[in-house]
Amino acid sequence: MMEGAISNRIRMLRFHNGEMSQAELGQRIGLTRQTIAAIEAGKYSPTLEAAFRIAQVFNVPLGEVFQWEVRDGQ
Amino acid sequence: MPYREKFSWLSLAAMVVTYVPYFAIVFAGYFPVRPLPDLRQLSLFALVSIVRVLILGIGYLYLRLGSPQEARTPPDERDLAIKSHSMSSAYYVLISGMIYVGCFMPFTSAGWTIVNAALFMIVTAEVVREGVVVFCYRRQA
Repeated sequence: MMEGAISNRIRMLRFHNGEMSQAELGQRIGLTRQTIAAIEAGKYSPTLEAAFRIAQVFNVPLGEVFQWEVRDGQ
Repeated sequence: MPYREKFSWLSLAAMVVTYVPYFAIVFAGYFPVRPLPDLRQLSLFALVSIVRVLILGIGYLYLRLGSPQEARTPPDERDLAIKSHSMSSAYYVLISGMIYVGCFMPFTSAGWTIVNAALFMIVTAEVVREGVVVFCYRRQA
């Protein structure tokens, strides 16, 4: 099985969108501020639907928000 | 700290305050074996349960008034995933306990020993449920 980890650019995208707060982003996609914080920190992987919603808020493709990083040696 | 995690901490605290003393008294053999229904033991269990409900009720009101907006927010996908994980963990504990209490204990014990063992397994399953909730929220915090 391919080993890897999901990374994201939510923090940067929030910054580029008028320093949008985690609470505001969460409110717009129906998640709590704590869940956004967990996603941002890479401690929780959102559902595909939530991931698409996040991308829609920032008006960017999904791949610009989330990336799959293959671990070394793969 | 998420509202639902606070409520799990409250529930754990309420169980520690009520059921730990109850089971400590029971397992220490404070109650002599008497024929059913043993009203002294029944009264103690009723008292402990009432105290737990009161603690939960007061705590629930306190938490709700402390963060009314969070309390109104419906659980999101992470909350539901954590809830589902905690429920399945607790289910395995409960089913194992019930198999032991229902299928093995009747051959070796009787009366309040079986009742208390069943109550202990229910409380243990509840502790596991709330514990898994707290653990998951802490791990993802």
